[in-house]
Amino acid sequence: MKSLLRLGLVAALLLGTVASTHAAANSDLIVAFLPKSKGNAYFISCKAGAEKAAKELGVQLLFDGPTDSNAAKQNEIVENWITLGVDVIAVAAENREGISTALRKAQRQGIKVITYDADAMPDARSFFVNQATPEGIGHALMDEAARLLNNEGEFAMITASLTAANQREWQKHIEARLKEKYPKMKLVAVRPCDDLKDKAQSEATAMMSANSNLKLIMSICSPGVPGAAEAVKQAGKTGQVKVMGLGLPSENRRYVHDGVIDTVILWKTEDLGYLTIYAGVALAKNELKKGATSIKAGSLGTFEIKGDNILLGKPFSFNKGNIDQFNF
Amino acid sequence: MARYFRELSVAGALALVLLGLAVFAPAFYQPQPLLSLVTREAPTLIVACGMALVIISRQIDISVGSQFSVIGVCAGLLAAKGWPLGLVLLASVSLGGVLGALNGILIAGLGLPSIVVTLATLVTLRQGLNLVRQGEFVNLPDGLQWFGLSQSGGQWTLVIAALVILVLLGWGMRHVSAGRLVYAVGSDAEAARLAGIRPQLCTFLVFVFMGALTGLAAMMNLVQSPQVQPLSGSGLELKVIAAVVVGGVAISGGRGTLWGVFAGLLLLACIAPALIHLRIEAYWEKAIQGGIILLAVVADGVRSRREGAGK
Amino acid sequence: MNPSVTNPNRPKRDWKALLLRHETLLLLVLIAEWIFFYYAGTSTNRRGVVVGFGTIDRQFDILRHSCEIGLLALALTPVIITAGIDLSVASLLGLCAILFGKFWHDAGLPIPVAIAFTLVIGGLAGALNGTLITKLRLPPLIVTLGTYSLFRGLAEAITRGAITYTDFPASFLFIGQERWLGVPTQAWIFVVVAIAIGLLVHRTTYGRSFRAIGFSPEGARYAGLPVERRVALVYVIAGVVAAIAAIIYTARLGQAKADAGLGYELFAITAVVLGGTSIFGGTGSVFGTLLGVAAIAVLKNGLATLPIVMRMNAAEEMAGLLTGALLLLALTGSVLPRLWSRWRSRHPATATPELKPKSTA
Repeated sequence: MKSLLRLGLVAALLLGTVASTHAAANSDLIVAFLPKSKGNAYFISCKAGAEKAAKELGVQLLFDGPTDSNAAKQNEIVENWITLGVDVIAVAAENREGISTALRKAQRQGIKVITYDADAMPDARSFFVNQATPEGIGHALMDEAARLLNNEGEFAMITASLTAANQREWQKHIEARLKEKYPKMKLVAVRPCDDLKDKAQSEATAMMSANSNLKLIMSICSPGVPGAAEAVKQAGKTGQVKVMGLGLPSENRRYVHDGVIDTVILWKTEDLGYLTIYAGVALAKNELKKGATSIKAGSLGTFEIKGDNILLGKPFSFNKGNIDQFNF
Repeated sequence: MARYFRELSVAGALALVLLGLAVFAPAFYQPQPLLSLVTREAPTLIVACGMALVIISRQIDISVGSQFSVIGVCAGLLAAKGWPLGLVLLASVSLGGVLGALNGILIAGLGLPSIVVTLATLVTLRQGLNLVRQGEFVNLPDGLQWFGLSQSGGQWTLVIAALVILVLLGWGMRHVSAGRLVYAVGSDAEAARLAGIRPQLCTFLVFVFMGALTGLAAMMNLVQSPQVQPLSGSGLELKVIAAVVVGGVAISGGRGTLWGVFAGLLLLACIAPALIHLRIEAYWEKAIQGGIILLAVVADGVRSRREGAGK
Repeated sequence: MNPSVTNPNRPKRDWKALLLRHETLLLLVLIAEWIFFYYAGTSTNRRGVVVGFGTIDRQFDILRHSCEIGLLALALTPVIITAGIDLSVASLLGLCAILFGKFWHDAGLPIPVAIAFTLVIGGLAGALNGTLITKLRLPPLIVTLGTYSLFRGLAEAITRGAITYTDFPASFLFIGQERWLGVPTQAWIFVVVAIAIGLLVHRTTYGRSFRAIGFSPEGARYAGLPVERRVALVYVIAGVVAAIAAIIYTARLGQAKADAGLGYELFAITAVVLGGTSIFGGTGSVFGTLLGVAAIAVLKNGLATLPIVMRMNAAEEMAGLLTGALLLLALTGSVLPRLWSRWRSRHPATATPELKPKSTA
């Protein structure tokens, strides 16, 4: 009986793939795009930009990633793509060293490797599409918070999880910038929300009640922004406690219009994806070579290249005035 | 008094924590944040009641978090389509019942161990949801939040509803024969069978009920914010089982009350805000939770050993 | 004549036949699976290179990735045979991984010493489970549910969630990333552990006692077996093996982080159940577990090589979904024979033809 069930499973798989195995060979370039975490809104919007670029360039785009940030899974996915024989692999590395072994293997097979958002070891990839260094990101966040508070006051931070590498980097730079430039501001609490909007809300509520002088909540994890905003709204402190952070327009639109959230910052992640694909394809077509100082990317124009870093440029601030123009 | 020793000791621990907070962090006791905290925990309380029943009947269900997420997303999608709230509520509870029945058939019908079955349904539901939704939020229509009432109106409604359900279930377990059946099946299924009870049917219904309560909880969570996050139920099962175990429900079945669960839930819910108020680093949270659970479990074990030795 | 009557020391022929049949079936399924993926998942890619499931590279990758889960499954086999369960093995992997990193990085211990210390910690953690279960007579489920939280929580607390240990020396990374005598290094370690556990369970009196305890703890006690000691032992073993898995995991990824091994317990338990070890205890097979691990690893990795799955961008979800479904199927399948015979015994009229008295005249 059990064997029957098992054979049934195998047969189902067989039926399911018979057609696909003999699918017509496609001579389009295949670009594989790996986010840190598939479900993270940040990377979903990268994907939107990447898809747009892929369409414009006429290349096939493969997008896959771990559901939660997971270095081991990233390795597995890269291995699959090497197997498939894609032309370009674009990676946002969860673990610098770990992913590099797989990337070097890809390079050895003639696959072009490019990183974005979070870099791997320099020898394992040709270029790194950098929205900004973690330093740049941390500074931008801190500066925006300072601007909103006129350089003085208490604020709190919500991060994703204590183990998220990206966020740790940003936090480090935020704190450094705080120390360096804003002596009149104080960071009173840092709490993780495990990527859960509801947990961010609870944490924000407690933070506000524990720190009566709290003036701003910064969330560097995207589900945390609407979570904190809801907490501020429910506490009746709209306007008293400002909310800002890295988030998606679609998730925060309501709060921005209601005045609960002042600014949502994002490295036009759509542009990040777009630029990455353009760079990757240019690499594969040998149009982008080492030592180049700039690259033209479709409708976005020209971008500066510093060494092997392709710079996206300044982050984009979404606020009441412009948030409705964006769909992600 | 001795019979309720466990419940009283949890209540005592809770009182100690609250007292400690009153002394070291009086800012904890502001009305609005407290109300928000309690409202946030209301859905969890409902699920904990269901879990208490499951555990008393000597089973376990670790798939509630995934059920919660799936129902939440489905309810959100229905609401976004324009379904009236009452209908969405009905749909949620029914869907919950169906998911619970799935567990129930495998566990009660086929006699499979509940831990492994619900582990499998946990993963299958969670991954299925990820596959379909890819983490995307569901935006709810305006006017849905707080049932369309004012914020405090909605919050009080939820809190009172949760308490009413708690009281009803607590009373029902003691005085309604169906409730006592659960205790009977949990203490000794064979004896229950000889007494004319059908343990399998009872177990099946317990899981269906658990699912239905989860559906209700998902709805209660839905009306608290304008969006639904698919990831939202993640970790719910551990939270709830912890509350139940700390609250004095014996894992070996047949013993426990919902009052203890209530106290246990409040105790555990206080940890996170307490850490914030006491300025303790966040990374201690999980370790403290695990520690409290083990402490409660060990205390139970020590006590039943002593009871056994005394016989 | 029923052999169990003439020689009470031999296990009933039915049992042996049943067990044997199960593993043979699983082996057949594994082979069928493998052949399927070989044909469906191998091709000459756009660069003219033969790639896919059928390459040695890929097979070794499968081997590499399944060593840790395989070790956890091996750790769980004796535990489940004693009718227990240990949900904390994957969390223990995480705790051991970061402790290993800490021993090496913060305490400056040489790698072999750090490894030794980590194994000891693994054993102690297992002993914690074992003690709570035997001394306090607590159900393994709830104890290991608590330690599942506690170990992971400790890992996060110790590293403040943030610290990741990296930059291990190449000689250490050799264990996880390179080959020895042509085969991935960790495979050798895995084989050694597999043989050890296999011998323990099948060829020693310890293993016999595990089965007896799983079948009936009271009966085992009356038979004079030191039940508490043996039960505690299986949890200690599980802890040590989880520590070994942690070392290999760290070597493979080159980093030690608090979230190491997150989610591995599902695959480990599925492998054990798939392999024919009864979740109720009393019977089990290490060989079956190995086959179960192989079947899952092949399924997981083979799925990822199928073009259709790649196009759906859903390798991880599919793997999780199918594993969950597979676990349910395996569980259902395992109880069906019992239910079938119970149904038959309750409805004898439909099972056997009625003997009607012959009418004379």
